[in-house]
Amino acid sequence: MSNLITEPPPTATPPVAAAGAIDAVKVYGTGESAVRALDGVTFHVGRGVFTAIMGPSGSGKSTLMHCLAGLDRLTEGQVYIGETYLSTLDDKRLTELRRKHVGFVFQAYNLVPTLTAYENITLPLLLDGRKGDSAWIDQVIDAVALRDRLTHRPSELSGGQQQRVAVARALASQPQIIFADEPTGNLDSATGAEILGFMRRAVHELGQTIVMVTHDPMAASHASRVIFLGDGRIVDEMADPTADRVLDRMKRFAE
Amino acid sequence: MRRVAWKSLLARKGRLVLTSLAVILGTAFLAGSFIFTDTIQRTFDNLFAQVYEDTDAFVRSSSAIDTGFGEEVRNTIPDSVVEQVAAVPGVSDAQGYVDGFARIIGSDGEPVGSEQGPPTFGGSMTTGELSTWTIADGRPPAGPDEVALNAGAAKDGDFEIGDTVKVTSNAGSREFTLTGIARFGDADSPGGATFALFDLPTAQEFVNERPGELDAVLVRGDGSLSDDELAAEIEAAVGLSGDIEVLTGAEITDETQSSVREGLSFFTIFLQAFAFIALFVSVFVIYNVFSITMAQRQRENALLRAVGASSRQVSITMLVEAVVIGLIGSLIGIGLGILLAQLLQSGLEAAGVDIPSSGIYLQPRTIVVTIVVGLLVTVVSALVPALRSGRVPPVAAMRDTALETTGAGRNRLIVGSLLLALGIACVLFGLFAGEPIFLAPGVPLVFIALFVLGPLVSAPVARWIGRPIAALRGVTGRMAEQNAVRNPKRTARTAAALMIGVALVTGVAVIAASVRDSVREIFGEQLRGDVVVTTNTFGFGGLSTDLAPTLQELPEVETATGIGINFATIEGDAQTITLVDPSTVGDVFDLEFAAGAVDDLTDDGILLSEGRAEDDDLVIGDTLALALLDGVPRTVTVQGIYGKDELAGPYTVSKGLFEGSSADVYDFAVFTTRADGVSEDELRTAVQTVVDEYGNGEVQTRSEYIDDQAAQIDPVLNLIIGLLLLSVFIALIGIIITLVLSIYERRREIGLVRAVGATRRQVRTTVRWEAVITSLLGAFQGIVVGLLLGYAVVLALRSEGLSTFTVPWTWILTVVVGAFVVGVVAAIIPAWRATKVDVLESLATT
Repeated sequence: MSNLITEPPPTATPPVAAAGAIDAVKVYGTGESAVRALDGVTFHVGRGVFTAIMGPSGSGKSTLMHCLAGLDRLTEGQVYIGETYLSTLDDKRLTELRRKHVGFVFQAYNLVPTLTAYENITLPLLLDGRKGDSAWIDQVIDAVALRDRLTHRPSELSGGQQQRVAVARALASQPQIIFADEPTGNLDSATGAEILGFMRRAVHELGQTIVMVTHDPMAASHASRVIFLGDGRIVDEMADPTADRVLDRMKRFAE
Repeated sequence: MRRVAWKSLLARKGRLVLTSLAVILGTAFLAGSFIFTDTIQRTFDNLFAQVYEDTDAFVRSSSAIDTGFGEEVRNTIPDSVVEQVAAVPGVSDAQGYVDGFARIIGSDGEPVGSEQGPPTFGGSMTTGELSTWTIADGRPPAGPDEVALNAGAAKDGDFEIGDTVKVTSNAGSREFTLTGIARFGDADSPGGATFALFDLPTAQEFVNERPGELDAVLVRGDGSLSDDELAAEIEAAVGLSGDIEVLTGAEITDETQSSVREGLSFFTIFLQAFAFIALFVSVFVIYNVFSITMAQRQRENALLRAVGASSRQVSITMLVEAVVIGLIGSLIGIGLGILLAQLLQSGLEAAGVDIPSSGIYLQPRTIVVTIVVGLLVTVVSALVPALRSGRVPPVAAMRDTALETTGAGRNRLIVGSLLLALGIACVLFGLFAGEPIFLAPGVPLVFIALFVLGPLVSAPVARWIGRPIAALRGVTGRMAEQNAVRNPKRTARTAAALMIGVALVTGVAVIAASVRDSVREIFGEQLRGDVVVTTNTFGFGGLSTDLAPTLQELPEVETATGIGINFATIEGDAQTITLVDPSTVGDVFDLEFAAGAVDDLTDDGILLSEGRAEDDDLVIGDTLALALLDGVPRTVTVQGIYGKDELAGPYTVSKGLFEGSSADVYDFAVFTTRADGVSEDELRTAVQTVVDEYGNGEVQTRSEYIDDQAAQIDPVLNLIIGLLLLSVFIALIGIIITLVLSIYERRREIGLVRAVGATRRQVRTTVRWEAVITSLLGAFQGIVVGLLLGYAVVLALRSEGLSTFTVPWTWILTVVVGAFVVGVVAAIIPAWRATKVDVLESLATT
């Protein structure tokens, strides 16, 4: 891992990059059994853009997201969020960065079961000892239509409601970027579409930056840009995708 | 299925270790207490076998009074017996000896040995092969100015041969020249005791104050007769001359060994009682661990059921696992018990109690009992969880989470309440119906009932405790509170282990505080003296009975009266009786006479407590048969009946009764009141001058004396609480195990909060506060139970003079702070493990 790069991240990269990876390499294991999950990935995520990362199983899309989000570290290369190279941060600073500047929506087990919906939504703020912008939080809660569910525990919420709480949590702290890992993977298609709708509105109406990993062409079609990963490299890119075009592209992986 | 059980044991070594840990600790204390007491017992057995190795016969008075705990007082025999015995054909050597109380004053002016510690002896030194002593350095003492010391005392007092040694006996203080340093068998300080050794006439005069009288004669044969024949010959020669008996060397060895055994049996029972308390606490921990681990394996068991295992097979698999854990745990427990026993022994050695070690003594009985108890405890603890495992529906294999189901609250309430009622009934019956044996099932039943009821109260109480923490620590505190509440059964069970220790500590502290206050009240009411001369030779003689009359002569003294304790056989039973001077005692003590008065007491009379008079249906004028140490039958007349027996006990007689008997009469204290116009300080100074001349006794003001009496409970209290800390320690381990298992279960959500921005420190904080809430929950429950238990005991002992109920607030505060610390300490390992949770791995787990 190189810490030698000292120049600031390419914030001038058009339009304006919120996060990105430069020659990102991630190797699991050593010697003969070593696997290159990421094999030199370079790309930049535009601010206020809904980006989807797609690829078949084992393409490295989850690894890329984990490294981008500061949950995992690269073997070589750099990732950055805003103006910070993540490799320069120790565990404590990385944690701080996550709670201040990054939002997460996972496929499942998104919520702390002992806390109420409201506490889950404000968890990153609470962990940071901040009150947060209450007007904004109100707006987010209304946007995901959870007003009457705030005192409920996750176990008392439906799967869709739970994911809405997760989206609201990701939005509540007004992070620089939100990472979503198969956010609709456990939902039926109608509920999934609803969640994706929220995420799209967050980008278009509120100016959020979202990076979503998915293997569902339907989900990817909500994004404004799709990056296709295969064998740890970027193999293609698509702007303003539709489900059909994404599906067509995905079919080519199988060939 | 056996293969499945075995594989699952091996597959989860960590969980196996945690479960075993609870078994190991419980059995280790049990094994340790057995090994320790066996080792001490054997050590003393060996010691006395060695001491009497060359004694073929033992001659002593046959008149003795049993004073309890394997002790007795025995009459003396005259010097002339030695010559008679020596003249018996077959005897090669006969030596008389005496022993009694003597305290060595170290070269720094402080007495050697502690007041509460092992006894300090003085005695005559036998010589030659008959000697129980071997001279390590110098020569035996000869003449009235010489002394030999046991090696340990010489070392502690910092003495060398030729030094001047001050020794205090009942006869006063005197200075001697140190001529020899002796060892008792192999021991420098046998049992921690100190010995000042003199030649026989000096010991008879200075230690026993009874010139010409011997405690016993040691006899060595010339080998021509067997010990039995020798004893018979001696008996024939001297036996007719009075109350003399002859024992063989084997008999006296055996008698001494068994009297030590009896003396130790109290200690043994005491130690084992605490080992069983610790075991009882570990049962709760073991049960809890099994419940958690088996719940965590719900999916695995459901899978077994789904592929065709019967409910019975699943349960048996779990039980087989418990047997293996119980067996391994008990075996390791025995090993740890050996270490514990060694640790205790080194602790005693560091405290100056020299137990000549012949190595740790591991009896087969210890191994068998420990394994049987360990196995039983483990299997019984695993029974309910195992049966529950068997009832897992196969469909649970398809479910995501494996949470423990909370049983029907109603059944729990009914069963718990019934158990509680039964337990309380047993406790009350035990306390108030004079059947203390009922406490044995009663107290554990109460705890079991509270264990059953625990989950019903744990959530609200934990929430109550957690609220301020949540307010103080923000979201980490809130998560801690919620974690403590989320599984009421688990939290309740974990806290219950601590509850037991805390309840017992609190109960004991309540009783001790009440005893202290009662003692103050009793002395405050009944004692009118201003200055007291006391002695800490209680049980080994005491103050000279001349002291009180001498003090009475002082112009500063209004009244001086000495009180003694002695022993007599009354109506065939050995009794402890109080000795007073009827002409003066009434001015110092108020015993509230119901009939007669203390002035009525004559030398052939006796005063009884009201209780004793009622029990035996005695009134003034009735007579009792009484025998003193000389065995001469006497008749005493009841001359008074008093209401306050806390100080005087059931029987009080005049010192005059003992005149002419062979019993040693001493005062344990002399109480004085001041003459008109004399200040307490003036009286004290005057008394001190006289006491200094006597060289024995400590002068205290009334309030100092009462403080001292009240504090006598403290060493016992400290010992009990020290031993109860064992069970608190097990409870602490229980909290650690539970939290580690809980954290294993929650690694996914820990990963989540780490991902969304919780620092390692915040994760640690959450775990720590959860532990604190759990331990405070246990402490609060324990305090409540302990207060009630203590109150019941105090109430039951009201008739024994426990007149006040005192809540030891400082203690309770200490317990709360202690519980807080226990929580923080218990959280260290689980919190560390929680921070080690791999975020990505936990999020990937599906």
